[in-house]
Amino acid sequence: MQVELKVFATLRKYLPDHPLDQSVTVTVEPHTTVSQLLEKTGVPLDKVKIIMVNNRHADLDQRLVEGDRVAAFPPVAGG
Amino acid sequence: MMVERYTRNLGLPGWTPETQRRLAAARVLVVGAGGLGSAVLPYLVAAGVGRTGIVEDDTVEITNLQRQVLYNTPDVGTPKAEAAARHLAALNPEVTVTPHHTRLAPENAAAILAAYDLVVDCTDNLATRQLINRTCLELSKPWIHAAVSEYYGHITTLRPAGPCWHCLFGPETAAEPPPSGILGPVAGLIGCLQAVEALKYLTGTGRLLVGKLLVWDALRPGWEEFSYRKNPDCAVCGNRNIPVPPAAD
Ligand SMILES: [Zn+2]
Repeated sequence: MQVELKVFATLRKYLPDHPLDQSVTVTVEPHTTVSQLLEKTGVPLDKVKIIMVNNRHADLDQRLVEGDRVAAFPPVAGG
Repeated sequence: MMVERYTRNLGLPGWTPETQRRLAAARVLVVGAGGLGSAVLPYLVAAGVGRTGIVEDDTVEITNLQRQVLYNTPDVGTPKAEAAARHLAALNPEVTVTPHHTRLAPENAAAILAAYDLVVDCTDNLATRQLINRTCLELSKPWIHAAVSEYYGHITTLRPAGPCWHCLFGPETAAEPPPSGILGPVAGLIGCLQAVEALKYLTGTGRLLVGKLLVWDALRPGWEEFSYRKNPDCAVCGNRNIPVPPAAD
């Protein structure tokens, strides 16, 4: 199945081919979790602070279904 | 209160002299007077917020001036809280600006926050945000969180009924090094949104960003909005016996 992944702020350096105006499409096994998706794409789990799936707050254990849109955010502390 | 100054507030739909008086009676604490604070503070003071507190223990450095537009070059070396209060008093001498030249810490947080109706988070670290979250829950105060890094910024509004900041951001992780770069107007723009949100809250105008994280990546076209809910198992708001966190340093 295919899911969409979008990473924000300093996480973008782990997906250098990430286009600015869209998500990255990733082909994964059915029932893949968010953390498995991140591991597959090379985004370090320990750099991820928040996960959103289809614009709603989710966690790393959430299982994905076809077409899910995953967004990953690092800790952001600047002011 | 000099009404002429607020003519363009009073011309807003739904904004009456009573709205302006509510603002004049309001007390807002801005924690941090850096890039976000440089935008929040002038707009709150200009709009007529009656009492604005500034918590900031830093002094103005030359490297701040690229984005912290509240300060001028001759302010370098001066405590930020003091320089900010001086500039803001010149902007609007009809309101009170109170500098707190200190760092928000577990020992002083409740005493400082107790004197205000609303807290605006313009800090530069996650530990102080944890402290603001816990203290605001203890004292039943709303607060407006924002953070910026490089080309990125986000904002959300927290009310005592929840969800709280910890429901979304979870336990503290290893301290991130401060961003090596921030595009000045990104901080300014997110700070302006905080000022809008604060003025909406104080005047009871419009809908607030409660349970919503509004995200802006300046390199991408458009804004994005994400939603979050109160976590029933939240270690902070799920438990009324809130332990005092360790010092922010
Ligand atoms: Zn919570």
